[in-house]
Amino acid sequence: MSTQDQLPDVLKNQLTAELLFSAKTDLLQDGRFGEQWLAVTEQEIVVWKQDRTQLLRQPIANLKDARAVSGIGGGTLLADTGSGPVVLARYTAAQSPVFGFAAKLLGAIAKDEERPVFSEREMPRSCPSCGNPLAEGTQICQVCTHNGKVAARMLRYTKPYKLQMVVAACLLITTTLVELVPPYLTKVIIDDVLGPKDIGSTLLYVVLGLGATMLLMSVMQTIRGLIGVWVGSKLMGDLRKDVYSSLMRLSLAFFDRRQTSQFIGRVNSDSEAMRQFMTDGVVFMSAEGLRIIAIFIIMFGLDWQLTLYAILPVPVMVAVSMTIWPKIGRRWYQQWRSIFRLNTLVGDSLQGIRVVKAFGREGDELSRYGEANVDVVRRNIRMEGLWSFMFPAFAFIAGLGTLLIWYNGGSKVLQDNMQLGVLMALIAYLGMLFGPLQWISQMISWASNAMAAAHRVFEIMDTPSDVPDVWNPAAIGVIRGDVVFERVTYGYEKHHPVLKDVNLKVQAGEMIGLVGHSGAGKSTFINLICRFYDTDEGAIRIDGTDLRDISQIDLRKQIGVVLQETFLFDGTIAENIAYSKPDATPLDIMRAAKIANAHDFIVRLPDGYDTRVGERGHKLSGGEKQRVAIARAIIHDPRILILDEATASVDTETERQIQEAISRLVKGRTTFAIAHRLSTLRNADRLVVLDRGKIVEVGTHEQLLEREDGAYRKLVDAQKELSKIKGVEG
Amino acid sequence: MTEGDKYDIRLFSPDDVYFSRGQGGVFQGIVEGKPYEELEVYRAFPFLYTTQYISIRNVKGEELGIVPDLKDLYEESATELERELQLRYFMPRVTRVESVKQKSDLWMWELQTHLGATRMVMRNLHEYMQYPGGGRVILTDISGKRCEIVDWRELDAHSRKQLEEVL
Repeated sequence: MSTQDQLPDVLKNQLTAELLFSAKTDLLQDGRFGEQWLAVTEQEIVVWKQDRTQLLRQPIANLKDARAVSGIGGGTLLADTGSGPVVLARYTAAQSPVFGFAAKLLGAIAKDEERPVFSEREMPRSCPSCGNPLAEGTQICQVCTHNGKVAARMLRYTKPYKLQMVVAACLLITTTLVELVPPYLTKVIIDDVLGPKDIGSTLLYVVLGLGATMLLMSVMQTIRGLIGVWVGSKLMGDLRKDVYSSLMRLSLAFFDRRQTSQFIGRVNSDSEAMRQFMTDGVVFMSAEGLRIIAIFIIMFGLDWQLTLYAILPVPVMVAVSMTIWPKIGRRWYQQWRSIFRLNTLVGDSLQGIRVVKAFGREGDELSRYGEANVDVVRRNIRMEGLWSFMFPAFAFIAGLGTLLIWYNGGSKVLQDNMQLGVLMALIAYLGMLFGPLQWISQMISWASNAMAAAHRVFEIMDTPSDVPDVWNPAAIGVIRGDVVFERVTYGYEKHHPVLKDVNLKVQAGEMIGLVGHSGAGKSTFINLICRFYDTDEGAIRIDGTDLRDISQIDLRKQIGVVLQETFLFDGTIAENIAYSKPDATPLDIMRAAKIANAHDFIVRLPDGYDTRVGERGHKLSGGEKQRVAIARAIIHDPRILILDEATASVDTETERQIQEAISRLVKGRTTFAIAHRLSTLRNADRLVVLDRGKIVEVGTHEQLLEREDGAYRKLVDAQKELSKIKGVEG
Repeated sequence: MTEGDKYDIRLFSPDDVYFSRGQGGVFQGIVEGKPYEELEVYRAFPFLYTTQYISIRNVKGEELGIVPDLKDLYEESATELERELQLRYFMPRVTRVESVKQKSDLWMWELQTHLGATRMVMRNLHEYMQYPGGGRVILTDISGKRCEIVDWRELDAHSRKQLEEVL
């Protein structure tokens, strides 16, 4: 049987029966950090203390049930026994999936039910090699992934532009070498022309040479720049496309757990950071590296002793860079965080500006902003302060080397041990050398920024979809619309099921109303039909085919949804209606709108069907949007229709119109409808009452009303009560 | 409980409740004369008032009432309730920050707490650290484990130095 961590043999030998399950806790019974072992066999549950003495033995015969009670940041595994509940183990949040499974297993053993199977998802998500926890939705350990590997993967994006990159590299090498010529020519002028007062034509030639190199350099730099821009932009485009397509591929569950706004930043700024590193960064680094090497070779050739003086400050600079770099990184992050806070604050209060104004809290908002602003200013000064210290410091250290050369070289020239031109050339080369050194920190900044961005981007790309498509999907064609739920269990977090053991058979063309308190699992029910999530246990079949065997494109073609929060895309009304069928004719669109009771109001708009809606467009009212959404569903012509609180936020008259539209829409389609107002579900063929994730009642409105103590009856009574109150208020 | 109380907060006086621990190590007690073999406790203000306004609930999660302040209870009840709070709200108090390091993209914290040594791993700082006010810092790690720094200004010099760049 499955075991999470290998139970040590010493402990295993103490067991009298075959081991079913074992797990290591990370807390002691009194809540301190420590390890305890828990083992389950057919006969008993044993818990060992850290020193491997037995803490408790609980015979299975006495066990009634087991529960994983979650606290904050941790939890407790409880056994319900004949003599009251018993604490079996305590654990931190990292271990809750394991013990959630343990509770399920123990419950199944106690009640002699089918034993659950230990699955991957219940494993504590930690990296196999270093033991650090993994982030949700990824199998890649960020501690173990080598920056090198990430860099290599990042550079793979340059592959399609190999030719351009090679040309750029060649140009780079030549420019670097050509750049080294002018100081040498200066030396020639001083030593061979000005020094000996050579009046011949040498001066002219040398100056012409200088001019030629300058021209050559400019031309090559321009070409290199152009190639850089071209390759860079293409790379950016490729990266953005990849990130976006990975995002679209991911399941809804992935987005549930994250703020969606962060992805906007990821798609754009992360790819920009990577681009910067790949084009500017790599080019810059290799150029400067090459230049440093070349300069040293020439300088050694000119005068190796003096060159040694020049090298003296280099280790100091490297050391300073290395020590100061992590500091800069952290301060940079601090600064970013305070700006982040400031932005959230602004975003918050602007989004809630109505509330702010209504309660007259502008002053408080101002002072909250003021505080955060002061913080940003302070961090900014600290950060920029560090920079303004860095550059002069580097310049000074670099200058020290120059001073040494001036002094020693100068005395050599005075003693006629060296020509003046050589000294001048050395000084010039030295100046060129310290340029790139000063930029070391800038390069590290680019690189680490790009690495961080690459990590985030590749994380998205590497996340497997929770609802993968099968390799050879079953061809379903146009379905009839039979939907069967077979022992379906699902939880957004696996150890906390929202739907439990749901069984339901729905005939094609039937309309099912889903009823229940909020949180009863109605929306989850619907999400499962759309296959936004996959069931944990059991299966959903459409016309006898498991949902998981149908390709998602085929499935979505058969399913239409009208949700409570209608989302219209940026575009015209016509485009929105034809969203699922881009080749729809204007007549199709109008027909659909007519059925949806939307045609009249749309035509009355000044721009008719060409009215822009969505983020920047015309504001439609809730009921109008809803009817556009219904038209969208109609034109989609789905076999299975899902209505989630489609009439929740509209007035009675609009509701009547929408109801009318819906009743036309549901004809001949299998329909699942959730409605807050129970009266709107009166047309349903059957009502399914959900409570705490279980189906408690199924039947027609009348049948269910007849049950004196039924859950539906209670709901209806409660609503009547409420409408009475509303009637009085109104 | 009368019908009228249903929409009011029920505050317990020390005589209303008696808390103890069952044989199996489970928090239990007698509330208003009725014995419960298992009770659940919730802090209404987990950050602001850690020992005040404690919601006492039965196994189904229905509120029986609220203990306004732990220190008003009789000693035995108070001790047991406090212990249960510590178990349910697993939040070790940080006594020393050994190191805060950034490796690849993760922040590794080596901490000493009053419940023993531990390590926390965070994806970033801006989402995993909270500042409820004063010098208090709540640290949450990727797995959901939480630690608390009661007042970072009162930690030893080494810890403060580690925290300097991250707070």
